[in-house]
Amino acid sequence: MTTLLEFAALGLGLGAVYIGLSTGLLLVYRATGIINFAQGAMAMWGAYVFARVQDDGELVLPIGTIWFPEPPGTAVALLVGLANAVVLGVLAHYLVFRPVRRAPALAQVVVSIGLMVALQALAVIRFGPNSIQVESILPTGSIELLGATVPLRELTMVAIMIVLAAAVWAYLRLTASGRATRAASENERGAVLMGFSPDRLALIALVLASLVSTMAVVMGGSLTGLSPANYTLLVVPALAVVLIARLESIGLAVAGAIGLGIIQSELSLLATRSWWPQWAQSGLDQVLPFLLVMIILFAFGKRLPARGSLQSVRLPDVVVPRFVPWKAALLVGIAVACLVFFTPSYRFGLTTSLIIAILALSYVVITGYLGQISLAQSAFAGAAGFALSKLTTAWDVPFPIAIVVCATLAAALGMLVALPAFRIRGVQLAIVTIAAALAIERFVFDNYSLTPPTGNPIGRPTLFGIDFAIREGRNLARLEFSLMVLAILVLMVLLFVRIARGDTGRAFLAVRANERAAASVGIDVRRTKLIGFGLSAFIAGVAGCLIGYSRGELSAESFSVVVGLSVLAVAYLGGITSFGGALVAGVLGPLGLVYTALHSVFDMGNAYPLITGIGLILTAVLNPSGIAGETRHQVEWVKRKLRSGRAAPPAAADAAPAPVPAEKPRETTGV
Amino acid sequence: MSEPRAGLHTTSLTVRYGGVVANADISLSVEPGQVVGLIGPNGAGKTTFVDAVTGFTACTGSVELDGQSLDGLPPHRRRALGLTRTWQSGELFGNLTVAENILVAARPGGAGALWRDVFGRRDAAGKAVVGRALDAVGLTGVAGTLARDLTLGQQKLVGVARALAGTCRLLLLDEPAAGLDSNESLEFAERVRSIAAQGPGVLLIDHDMSLVLGVCDVVCVLEFGKPIFTGPPAVARTDPAVVAAYLGAPMETVDA
Ligand SMILES: Nc1ncnc2c1ncn2[C@@H]1O[C@H](COP(=O)(O)OP(=O)(O)O)[C@@H](O)[C@H]1O
Ligand SMILES: [Mg+2]
Repeated sequence: MTTLLEFAALGLGLGAVYIGLSTGLLLVYRATGIINFAQGAMAMWGAYVFARVQDDGELVLPIGTIWFPEPPGTAVALLVGLANAVVLGVLAHYLVFRPVRRAPALAQVVVSIGLMVALQALAVIRFGPNSIQVESILPTGSIELLGATVPLRELTMVAIMIVLAAAVWAYLRLTASGRATRAASENERGAVLMGFSPDRLALIALVLASLVSTMAVVMGGSLTGLSPANYTLLVVPALAVVLIARLESIGLAVAGAIGLGIIQSELSLLATRSWWPQWAQSGLDQVLPFLLVMIILFAFGKRLPARGSLQSVRLPDVVVPRFVPWKAALLVGIAVACLVFFTPSYRFGLTTSLIIAILALSYVVITGYLGQISLAQSAFAGAAGFALSKLTTAWDVPFPIAIVVCATLAAALGMLVALPAFRIRGVQLAIVTIAAALAIERFVFDNYSLTPPTGNPIGRPTLFGIDFAIREGRNLARLEFSLMVLAILVLMVLLFVRIARGDTGRAFLAVRANERAAASVGIDVRRTKLIGFGLSAFIAGVAGCLIGYSRGELSAESFSVVVGLSVLAVAYLGGITSFGGALVAGVLGPLGLVYTALHSVFDMGNAYPLITGIGLILTAVLNPSGIAGETRHQVEWVKRKLRSGRAAPPAAADAAPAPVPAEKPRETTGV
Repeated sequence: MSEPRAGLHTTSLTVRYGGVVANADISLSVEPGQVVGLIGPNGAGKTTFVDAVTGFTACTGSVELDGQSLDGLPPHRRRALGLTRTWQSGELFGNLTVAENILVAARPGGAGALWRDVFGRRDAAGKAVVGRALDAVGLTGVAGTLARDLTLGQQKLVGVARALAGTCRLLLLDEPAAGLDSNESLEFAERVRSIAAQGPGVLLIDHDMSLVLGVCDVVCVLEFGKPIFTGPPAVARTDPAVVAAYLGAPMETVDA
């Protein structure tokens, strides 16, 4: 009993952090209608700044540092940290969220994910990848309560956060601008009628949210230490809390945050008991929020308040893909030539690019064609990868069959994740899928009783006596492996083109445009979503197997949520609606060709995710059709110029391809 | 229910939206080949009736098509049985071309389609389907146009063409002629008649009184969700309840 109570008290610390993050999320949502996936990352930045100023008087800015003559003490450090939070809130408003305030849900999800990726990458660059200690600003000591020793730290922390949450509540209830924010969240015209600019209200909300969340992470960091990853991803359980609060009530958010914190803490206690199954010990902290998210969205998803100005889920252009043999042959020829003549490190980079292109293609299917936001693609890839390890080592399943089996497994998992998509869509689906991905990552991939820490070796792929393994002796990037990957990519693109041009692709686009109308023309919307999720998870699974083969041995890091998000970033950057975009994404992707090239010129490994994060934000804000789409527009523009420039030169007119209607770029006007 | 009856038959169909009774106890039949008009003032419950019949809104009572009960079936299953509809607001797939809008209705995907897409051969049968559907509504030269680039009148017609693709045993048209001028409207009336002549029953909702009264075999007048008259158009013009519902104005000049 006393142990239970002591663990409950420990859970208060986590609960306090959740209060800070969920209050921030809620405030931003009420003011802008955007779920800010970067809430944790933003808060982490201010906390880092605080920790370093307090530790050695070094004020770390995104670029450059300012040194205090001597460490200025906790109070000043806290002020500096919070000042950073304010600046970050202002910048996030003007540079990231304001430009997309009328954009489709996908663009809004994508910018906040871009911000999250960029901030996390920047934290790695500026503060290092490892966890740092944060000195506590809270009182030490403890009090006796019902026979248990309850630390004062957690109690104070939760008290402070409740006060701050109450202040936010008071702002929303009692001040005129707060009331206008609430009016705006029901109907944007409401705020305008009350004489407030919604824009101004959004700015205030972002700054306040940043402050409250940062305060929570400053205190939480002293309990757990700070690392670039831990608080960034704490946004996921905080999202569960926000859903408990029905995206409305600060009071419910506080209660939910404390409840979740305590339950998680108690669970970690129970998991140490002898009767607790060993396979279920890891990742419980993420499984619980995921279950919560699922239950709430399933039960109440439709009744959750939506924003007054309902935006349509509009997506970038789609072009019905065509398979042009000579172009394909040319591309394959170039790729083969590069693979043959490249040095091993470039060959490895290009091979990685080919694999990432496959993973990006899975986003093209699910998001570009079916219009569903899935943040779980890396989990599908990982599931296939780990299955491959078991299949090839324990059961000796031979090479190409093993890939098919594992990708099919991933497809089954994808269909499972499709179930929530029957009821919910848009940003809510993004929340479910990121929660699912994180739960799978922590519960399965990081689970030592399922995936032993000694390593998950993968058998060598051989077919007809040819060894396709990536390594042999000192050769770390064998040509055979690269050619095998290229062949599989071509196969996947062919598969995609056939499906995208066929009845299935058309049905996907119809569902993406208008689910109601789709049902009225006889499309089984649920089955179509099942097919879409299954197909995209299958493609992701193939990529996962190849990632496995390319490493020879699997680790959970290859398939972390963050890896998935950075591939989403490059997929969106390349152009999420075409396989050309997926190829561009592959070239740009982490550890891919561009990365290898830049890396060989100057050491910039850590800067790469930062660049992709910023690139993602810029793409979402400036050019939603991505690089591939933009290139296509420009090519068309040049073609038009050429045609109109020379007044009907007969030879050129003959050579110019006949305008095929299906080649017209198109956009969805949407639901 | 003694023996299977061809056509659409609703029995005591009732729809409630919260406290509002949007459809009250509607029993209506549309026989094959017949054109039935459904008219009534704005908010009378005409669209609600179509939604209920096609499965987009929950209702009590029963709906039956060609002797088969549709109760509890989801919309796409009803569509597969040949119950097709258009939408008052068009609801085309703006990102697809006109041809693709029609094709997607004729071949709505599914597991079998996925198999054919991957392993089967391409066929040209789709072109014929599109051509026939567009002919039936009299649209030419728009097959390759994106649906959202059409005029409102054209969009409504493509909606009708989309509803005709695949099996169509009963066609529900929700204000299909809004957006057509009076000449086009007359032409459209002809086409509705010839569609019905080929077999399917048609339920026609429209504001254009001359269109509805001219083309229909039977009209049903709704007021506050209740049918106040069902019978031949000629009788409807003089029926006291109908005239009262339209505040005594001569019906030709009233905007339903
Ligand atoms: N989805 C809905 N929820 C609540 N009320 C509705 C809904 N759809 C229609 N109504 C109400 O039902 C009544 C009938 O509407 P409708 O069928 O659209 O009329 P009509 O098509 O004849 O103009 C109206 O009072 C309308 O406000
Ligand atoms: Mg209506």
